[in-house]
Amino acid sequence: MADSARPPRVLLVGLGGLGCPVAAVLARVPGVELWLCDDDLVELSNLHRQTLYAAAHVGQDKLEAAQQSLLASGTEPARLVLVRSRLLPDNARELVRSVDLVVEGADNFATKFLAADAAHLEARPIVHGAGVRWVGTAWAVSAAGAPCYRCLFEDVPAGAQQGCSEAGVMGPVVGFCGALMAELALRVLAGDADAFGALYTYDGQTDRLRHVPAAARTTCALCGTSPSIFQIEAARYTAPSCAA
Amino acid sequence: MITVRIPTPLRSLTGGEEQVQAPGETVKAVLETLETKHPGLRDRLLDDKGVRRFVNIYVGDEDIRFLDGLETKLKAGDEISIVPAIAGG
Repeated sequence: MADSARPPRVLLVGLGGLGCPVAAVLARVPGVELWLCDDDLVELSNLHRQTLYAAAHVGQDKLEAAQQSLLASGTEPARLVLVRSRLLPDNARELVRSVDLVVEGADNFATKFLAADAAHLEARPIVHGAGVRWVGTAWAVSAAGAPCYRCLFEDVPAGAQQGCSEAGVMGPVVGFCGALMAELALRVLAGDADAFGALYTYDGQTDRLRHVPAAARTTCALCGTSPSIFQIEAARYTAPSCAA
Repeated sequence: MITVRIPTPLRSLTGGEEQVQAPGETVKAVLETLETKHPGLRDRLLDDKGVRRFVNIYVGDEDIRFLDGLETKLKAGDEISIVPAIAGG
């Protein structure tokens, strides 16, 4: 883990429906340095669920819009670090190495698996979140790395997967999951080992939250007994993305 | 009878039902029964190697990969949950 003499650093990958509520919470935690990572522009279709943005932000850089909102709510400027890029194969390990915790609310599988791999290779804990239609998920992986994201979902799904633009996504569902991700992040920063190892699944249609323990797979390519992933290879991360 | 919880992405195949019931002594048998009632469900869950790798199937709180896979035996009242990977936000 990084230098304990400085404030804890959290890399937030994605400032969408999940990233916005995470940022809103973590920006209010005294002493946390929040690294915001996104290169997208605010779109009208974002506004129903990406709660840091207002109509006046449409067309604006998401990082700047988020920074404006967070500063307006009282966050000290020095606590925000803007990373004007997506998490990419050629920057992932360096970014992850620079922080103490990764929180990823990416809208595509390629970035999710990239974040998972980079966090494992750099021995950093990571909180994963996702939301489509009425369902959201959240779970935290420890710096020790097992069970990891690949223990559950193995690899980038082949073929096109329905994302937000096809399936839609309910604002309150991602708001709920973003809050849950922020809660997991705070527990991780506080050293709560019980934060790890269980997949939370929220169904907004039934208002049911399930908490299912995840187990490490011995055959996992990332954290198993005979791992095969030792570095970031760009070809490993190819998938369509959610564009809404 | 076994209860199978259907995730949102698959409910179009079950007439919108979030849970369905089917008889079967194993997970495989239950999925085969469900396929007769809800055609197309099996192909979304299984490929020629077994459970699709971005889908997790649980009996209660146990991932069947750590039990006997599709041959995991069931008893009356058991609940199967299907948890697919999702990406979006």
